Amino acid sequence: MIGSMDVMLTVNGEQRALRIEPFETLLSSLRDRLRLTAAKRGCNQGVCGACSVLIGGQPARACLSLTANCVDHEITTVEGLSTPLALSPLQTAMVRAGAIQCGFCTPGMLITLTALLEERAHPTREEIRVAVSSNICRCTGYQKIIDAVAEMVETSPA
Amino acid sequence: MLYRPQSLGEAVGLLTSDPNARPLAGGVSLVAMLNARLIEPSALVSLARVAELHGIVTLADNALRIGAMTRHRQVAELSELIRPRAVLRQAAAAIANPTIRGMGTIGGSVALSDPAADYPAALVAMSASIEIAGSSGSRCLAAADFFLDWYTTALAPGELVTAVHLPPPADGAGVYHKLARVAGDYAIVSVALTIETAGKICAVIGACGPRPVWLETANAELARGNVAAAGDLLAAASDPLDDSRASASYRRRVIPRMLARAFAEAKALVRAL
Repeated sequence: MIGSMDVMLTVNGEQRALRIEPFETLLSSLRDRLRLTAAKRGCNQGVCGACSVLIGGQPARACLSLTANCVDHEITTVEGLSTPLALSPLQTAMVRAGAIQCGFCTPGMLITLTALLEERAHPTREEIRVAVSSNICRCTGYQKIIDAVAEMVETSPA
Repeated sequence: MLYRPQSLGEAVGLLTSDPNARPLAGGVSLVAMLNARLIEPSALVSLARVAELHGIVTLADNALRIGAMTRHRQVAELSELIRPRAVLRQAAAAIANPTIRGMGTIGGSVALSDPAADYPAALVAMSASIEIAGSSGSRCLAAADFFLDWYTTALAPGELVTAVHLPPPADGAGVYHKLARVAGDYAIVSVALTIETAGKICAVIGACGPRPVWLETANAELARGNVAAAGDLLAAASDPLDDSRASASYRRRVIPRMLARAFAEAKALVRAL
């Protein structure tokens, strides 16, 4: 590849060596090179949030982040939130509340809400709503998603 | 090629030597344009590692320097942004959604100069200035002289926005009102208003023309309490588009009403001081 670059990324705690195009987005690197397909390509314009990942612990649009610019930070995708044996508490709460319809927005929602719960363990419903405003659910299934987090928070120790 | 310079001098050097290179800040607009194939830069110069563009400091004259790489989220949470300066905090909080506010930067937004964005009107209303670096050194330009046209600023080729300077704190109030279809959308109309107890008043309309709209005559009417007259002057001076968000005539009708609301709120805040 002419003009390609070799970079080292830290994804879900693992060091990954990659040869990338100079303007390649993190979303392309994750999906097409690393075969981590939880982050979805929805609009590719940063609007829908389906591609959300954590970069240095902060929620970010993978479609608006260039891979070559991500080498200084740890990247977490939905694949890194759980183990093959156990879902994360948030994932379990989403399943229990039936907070998934078509499922396309779900990985982005999980990333956004994981970051919210990292920041504050007991968010109010209003804070959950504000957080979820970063992600579009075109099934308009927001209520169950908000319920899932609210119920999880209510039953978790203060 | 994507360059990741460590210093401002190195970044300016890269941008000066290649007129088709573009500076990359948060990427929110630039990478979206790349994805849509609207731009084809020869190189990108990432500003992530340029220390001079990061941080928020109070300068010797009590002006506040907000580094160009400061995210909207940080601006929306800045405790220094009270009284007239609150207009900028409110504008930052009104941008897009929490994730985008964590990515986008004040320098990137200012340099893009999208008239429907939230910062331009707020910066003009608070008499902020834009710090710019180029191959011949650094300069500061009033925000009112920086935003020139649709996506056009006073930046010369190879120049870079390095910070925004806010004037020293003053008594008074600042408000930013945004009319949008849903929270986080671009504004149909926005109003940025500052009132200083010492007498200075500045009202600026956003999203209604190629650049923020303000008039000395409208500010003078506001100082005399003639809100309706000020609103009519600003509506007449605006040059809004018909687009999917609203018609131009609707925007012109809304300007005086939004100004009246913002003025009433700011006046009440000043009285409560």
